[in-house]
This record gives sequence, C-alpha cells and structure tokens, in this order.
Amino acid sequence: MPINCSSCETQRAVLRRPKTGHSVCKECFFRAFEEEIHHTIVSAQLFQPGEKVGIGASGGKDSTVLAHVLKVLNERYNYGLELILVSVDEGISGYRDDSLETVKRNQQQYELPLKIVSYQELYGWTMDQIVKQVGLKNNCTFCGVFRRQALDRGAMMLGVNKICTGHNADDIAETVLMNFLRGDIARLRRCTAITTGSEGAIPRCKPLKYAYEKEIVLYAYFKKLDYFSTECIYSPNAYRGHARAFLKDLEALRPSAIMDIIHSGENLSVKEDVKMPVQGTCTRCGYISSQGLCKACVLLEGLNRGLPKLGIGKHHKLHHKLLAQEPLSEAETRKLKSIDF
Amino acid sequence: MVAPINLQLEFGGGAELLFDGVKKHHVTLPSQSDPWDIKHLLVWIKDNLLKERSELFIQGDTVRPGILVLVNDADWELMGELDYKLQDQDNIVFISTLHGG
Amino acid sequence: MKCKEASAVLIIRVGDAFCRSCFKEYFVHKFRAMLGKNRVVFPGEKVLLAYSGGPSSNAMVQQVQEGLSRDAPKKLRFIPGILFIDEGAVCNQSWEDRERTMSEIENILKATSFPFHILSLEQLFTLPQTMLQMNLAEIPKRDGSYKQAVGSFLGQQKAQAEDGVSDAADRLTQIHIADNSSVECSQSAAFSRPAAEHTAALRDMFNSAKTLTAKQELLHLLRNHLILHVARTHGYSKVMSGESCTRLAVRLLSNISLGRGAFLPLDTGFSDNRYGDVVIVRPMRDYSLKEISFYNRLFNVPSVFIPALDTKASGNSSIQHLSESFITKLQADFPSTVSTVYRTSEKLHVSRTDTTQPKNQQDKCLLCMCTLDTHTGPASAFFATQKSQQLSEKKSLKNVPSAKDSEKQCCNGGQCCKESASCTNSVTGTQDIVHLLCYSCRVTIKDLNSMDKLPSYILKEAEHRTRRMEMRKEIEEFLLDDHSEDI
Repeated sequence: MPINCSSCETQRAVLRRPKTGHSVCKECFFRAFEEEIHHTIVSAQLFQPGEKVGIGASGGKDSTVLAHVLKVLNERYNYGLELILVSVDEGISGYRDDSLETVKRNQQQYELPLKIVSYQELYGWTMDQIVKQVGLKNNCTFCGVFRRQALDRGAMMLGVNKICTGHNADDIAETVLMNFLRGDIARLRRCTAITTGSEGAIPRCKPLKYAYEKEIVLYAYFKKLDYFSTECIYSPNAYRGHARAFLKDLEALRPSAIMDIIHSGENLSVKEDVKMPVQGTCTRCGYISSQGLCKACVLLEGLNRGLPKLGIGKHHKLHHKLLAQEPLSEAETRKLKSIDF
Repeated sequence: MVAPINLQLEFGGGAELLFDGVKKHHVTLPSQSDPWDIKHLLVWIKDNLLKERSELFIQGDTVRPGILVLVNDADWELMGELDYKLQDQDNIVFISTLHGG
Repeated sequence: MKCKEASAVLIIRVGDAFCRSCFKEYFVHKFRAMLGKNRVVFPGEKVLLAYSGGPSSNAMVQQVQEGLSRDAPKKLRFIPGILFIDEGAVCNQSWEDRERTMSEIENILKATSFPFHILSLEQLFTLPQTMLQMNLAEIPKRDGSYKQAVGSFLGQQKAQAEDGVSDAADRLTQIHIADNSSVECSQSAAFSRPAAEHTAALRDMFNSAKTLTAKQELLHLLRNHLILHVARTHGYSKVMSGESCTRLAVRLLSNISLGRGAFLPLDTGFSDNRYGDVVIVRPMRDYSLKEISFYNRLFNVPSVFIPALDTKASGNSSIQHLSESFITKLQADFPSTVSTVYRTSEKLHVSRTDTTQPKNQQDKCLLCMCTLDTHTGPASAFFATQKSQQLSEKKSLKNVPSAKDSEKQCCNGGQCCKESASCTNSVTGTQDIVHLLCYSCRVTIKDLNSMDKLPSYILKEAEHRTRRMEMRKEIEEFLLDDHSEDI
C-alpha cells in the first residue's frame, strides 16, 4: 500500500527513516540528512571560513559519505573551506589495498585532493609485520594508536587546520557504553565532545556525530556512492563487540536509544576531585602524552626490541628505563616477551 | 554401577515458577555407570522436571547466569561447580537473583 | 579466610572465602558501616522502609531489626516504619491472588513489630494535586553537625534512663504501634479492596503504554510518587530503599540507555534528595545479590516472590530487561563488571546547576522530579533530535496550541479557572505536558497512546504549571529580578 512522504506529502515514500520512523521519499530524505549535518556543523561552530580541513578517508561508508556531504554543504552554504582527503595506509595486504583504491576513486569523483600516509614511512612497520610479532590479541591496540598519530602527522604535513572523521552516532553511543562498562572515567568525559584535541594537536571533529549508521548506508545506497564495505580482516576487539551487540539490541527495541545514550553521555558530570591524567608531551617525538613517552613510542620501542608486550598493560615504571636506554632485567624482559595468539 | 541417589532439590527467588511453583522436590536419580555430577543433574532436571522455558534456567551445559547454586548450604564454587559429585541425601538449592528486590 | 578454622561456605570474590559466622559478621558490619559512613540518618528520625517482599528488602528489614535491637553494640537510633505497595493490578493478577500475597507479607511484617502500611497502587488516583510540588518550606534545617545530633540524643536518653524510663526509641516505637494498631486491625481483617474504577483506570493506563520499557518506567515513577506521599503524610523524613549493588549496576546501564545520564547519581547513589523534604537512602547498595541470597538462605530470612511486569519475559522485551541480561552475562565472563560500573557511578555527581536551590517549580520534571536536562544549547543531542523531527514532518503539522487559546475555548472570556471541576475537556494535550518533562520522561511519554489515562494529580499539576508558564511569559518584561519563587 503506497503511502506518501510525511514531509512533502506529495511523493511516494520509499524508505522509513531509522532515526525517527517517518516514511519519506528520497529527496526529502537527502534534504533532511544533509540539513541535520549542516545544523550540527553550524550549532557547534565546527569550522571558520578560509580553513583548510582534512577529511579522514578510509574508503569506508562513513568517510565516503562525510566527504560527499561536506563538499555539498561547503558549496551550498559557502562555508569557504578548502577540503582535502587524508588517507592512512596501515599495510594490511588484501584489505587496505582495495580500500585505498576506493579512496582514489573518491578523489576523482569528488574532485578533492588526496594525501596518503603509510605506517611504513612513518614508523617503519606495516600492520602485517606487527601482527607477525604481536599476534592477534593486542594488534588492535597498535593499529588504533598508530592510526591516530598517522592522521595527525599527515595533516601536519599538509598544513591543515582541522581534521574531521566519519564517526557516527552509533560509534559514539558504543564508545559511551564501553567506557562506562570499563570504568574509564577520563574517556567517558571526552567521548561525547564533538571536537577533541588539546594544545599543540590538530583539533578533530565529528560532523556525523548525530547521524545514524543505518541512515548513512541508506544515503550512500540511494546516492549510489562508491564505498568499500569489508570488515578489517584482523578480528575486532572482543570487548567493543559486547557493547556493539547490546547497542544493536537496544536499537531494535527503541530506535531513539542511540541518541538517548549520547544525550546521557553529554549530560554526565564528573566530580571535581576525581583524578584525571594530566596532558604533557612525549619526550621522544613531541606528540601529546600523559606519560613521559607517548603510547606510540612505547609500542614502537617494544616492536623494535622484540618485546611485543611493552605498552600492553601497565608498565609505567619501565618507561623510565627505556628513556634512559637502560637494559631491562631478565625478569622484565621475560614478562614483556610472552605473547598469546 | 552407582546406586540410585536421593536428593532434595529446592528452587527459590522466582525459579520455582518454572517448576509449577513447587519449591521443594524430593527426587531419586536412577542408577547408572558413571557417578552423578551436577552437570548431569542439570540435564536430568531439564528432561524430567522443567515444565517450560528451559532457556530461563539452563544455558548451554550450565545454569543461566544469575542463578546461584548451593550444595548443602555451601557455594557450589567451593565444591567444584559442575564437576561436584553428588552424594545420597544431598541438598541442592537453585536461587534466581533476577527480578524482585 | 578470616577465622581460618571453620569451613568455608561461600566465595564472594576470588580468594575471599567465608565461613558461616564470619559471613554473618561481615554482612552485619557492612550495614552499620554504610549508615555510619554516610551520616544522613539522624537519631530519632522516622525512616520508612520501602519493602517489595523480595530478598533485598527482607535482608534490609532484618538488618534494621538487628541494628535496633537492645544488645547491638553500636545501636542504630532511628524509628522505622515499613511500606508495602501491592501492584498486582498492573500485572493483571486476580484480587484473590493479591490478597493472598498481602497476607503473606503481613505475616512477615507483623513479626518485625515495626509499624507497617500496606497499600495498593490504585491509591494513586486519590493523591492530591499538591503532591508534585516541592515543599521547599519543610526541608529540615540541620544546624548542628551529625556528631552533635548524636551527642544530644544520647544525652537525652541517659537522662531518661536515669529516670527509670525505658529507652526513648523503644518508647516511641511502642507509641507508634499503638497508633497504628487501629490501622492494622482494619487491614488484617480484610484488605480493603480498591474501587473497581480505580483498578480499571490503572489497567487502562498501563495498557496505553505501547512498550514494556515505558510500562516499567511508568511503574517506577508512579510507585515513587506513592512512596513519597505516604512518607509525607506520616511524617517520615527518610525512605530506605533496598536496591543491591547488582540491581544498581543494571539500573545504571538501563538509565544511560534511557537518556537519564544527567541523573545517574540521584537514581543510583546512596542518597537521593530530589524531593527536598524526604530523602531516599539506599543502604544495601554495597551488597551483591549473591551475598544477599546467601545470607537469607543461611539465616532463614523469609521472602515472598511476587511476579513483576517482566517475569518470564524473553531477553529482548524491554530496555531494563535487556540491561539485566547483558550485565549478568558480562559479569559471568568478566567478574569485575558490576563493581567497575558501580565505582564509575560513584565518581559522577549531578551537574552543578542542580545543587543550588531550584529557581522555581518549572525547573523540575513533572514526573521524575529531577531538574530538567533539556536546557542544553543548540549543539546537543536533544536539539539534534528535535531538528530531525521537524525536518521529517510537514511544516504545517507542527503547530503548538498555546495554552491561552485552549483556555479561551473552555472558559468564557479568558477568565481562567484554576481549579474547576467543570473544566474537564483535556486542555493539556501531549504538547503541553512534554515541555514540563526531562528528556527521558519525554521519551517514555511518547510511548503512551494518550495522556488522559494518567492520574488526575499529574494532569492537574501539568495544567497548573503550563498556566503559570504562560502567565510568566506575559509579564516577564515587568518582573524586576529573577527572584526565587515558590510556584
């Protein structure tokens, strides 16, 4: 039984919005989706005219849609921004090569400049090599840390003022849940902020913060946008998987739950006397860090010394030894060497 | 061959709803070649006593999380959990901690 | 293990095994320590124990008994009363079943020799409208410190003991029993069956909720209203609620999912002062359900199992139920889940705007009575959801009927009648009530088919607040300063 779009009431509805449940036609959906992102950008004052903005492009649906919508809004509303695609090559053969091809196609389709930074050139290690040393249990820690820094370094090379990433509402809700379950109060506070980044680092923002993942897929599908949709071949983090499953069940019960969780996260208030880590800089590479050595340097040191567990778990005392280039004792070396696949 | 074993089973905290509301059951496990342990008892309960919704009581080969098990008034975690070997006249209690307060 | 002699019967955490007597000591001590550490219950205060019949409630009552008993080393010094609310109508139980449950409960409560009250949830329909207004005037002024209060109380007692009069607290308790004996008699003869129309109204209201999630939230809200009312009318300044650590961890997760992030410390902390004059405390919050179940079993604490809305429901029937399954399963794989969640919640507090006195009643949610969390700026999830609604609907549909217009419709010549029985056509549509609610109550209300099934005290208060809001808008430019009003 054909029903009419609830917004324009003239065209036939072709989809039901996961976010609100309204049945709408294609054009009204595009308009609503884009307008919501525009509202997010404007109300949070994410950009200033004349800024150079790097878009973290992985070739996946989030970054593809982000790039497309930013381009559209930039022109429609005269944001006055200079947009660049920044992509990270982790060196995962078979997976990353394909997604990079997608990014290159995006570059041509959207007519935006593209810069690719690779783990190989930045750190001297590809993910394939890392997994060989580290195994499959903690590889995601390495990748996450390295990728974050890689994006920053790539952006710095380009003289970019801001980076935006394709994190969507589902990601943020999932992160709120995960940080809550793990008791990570510091992250819990920051994770709903739309712009993150402290002194010295390039600010990052998430224009898709209030966009549902399902709607992003719908948008990409109807707009026939090109994206690469396979999961990373190295298995996803076990704990995040739990939070994700819970979120999906919640969404099935009540679609607004995703926004409700974000609302909860935004309104959490941490007691003043709770200890928070202080942000300083890494003594080796200058990146922001709350310890003497930033996480990436610690992980790299571990890799280079053949101690893959360095940086996984808490060995802060050993950081000093590393900085001072002192040799580690037998027992310490043994602890850091053991890996479980 | 092991002799048949007489047990007293009790269900509380709402778990009794799955057993027709009956809280105390005196049962006799038939004789069999291997000694009876809690793992087998659960299977036996599922086949012989559970009236409905077995997934609310059993998950896989153990009890659903949230159900406490006491063996002669002691925590089954101290007795070996599923591997505890049942003795004649043992008292096994299952208390559900889900709902109610 | 502590005593190292008797055999262990229970394991709490890895490496923490207890024998029977050590466990009892540990359990009893925790209760005392909880009350002692958080010095909010003053000696001589009347405390209402909110009793559900379940294991945690019973353990709590038993601990109160222990603590008040003569030979307890550090006696507790407040005056308890117990409240049980029969909610059978909501679960479609027959009156016979409800009566049977209530007699069982009555037997247990009689044995405590504390005064008790047994009510049915239908009583909601007889609550006065003023119920939802915060009694700013009645917040007891605590001038001295807690220690001083205890000191003076002890001094009083000593003086009386010297006079040969028995313990003051015991005396007061006896007086209460005498007072309530008439009430008890009328109740134990036969439980007064609530009016059929009230039972029907209650059923209708809950049936108008489309989802189990909304039903459960509504039940929770309304039950709290009734508890508050009983506490106020009988002079109880504190209410003790028996939520365990496990239950609170589940509630934390479900409340985050419901959008109640701003109120987590109130909903799950030790003390909840949202009502002002009556403070809710949760002395059982350090006990896991395992500890409570074991204690009850080992020391024969009775409990009554009463089926709830989500008994025997499948895993994904409501957000609350889903959270419970999730936490329980996660706890099995990661045994520190509950304690981690619990500890995280202790690091939260209500945002600063709440600790100062609320400027006026409008700032509090009509239903849950927490300070509204909807005054966020445009860069927030709340605004984003409103924007989405607007963009997905035809513009002309979104018209906000001003309360003024609707008043003109029902009353002649704009003369507003504040409290008129003739004004029965529901002036308050969903639009009006929604503005008076916090984010998560709004979401709950959205799941209701219609608002008019709510009890009249809620609807009348909503009307009242909406009118005040309109009036204020009109005269805003003439008000000199933002002084605090008691609206």
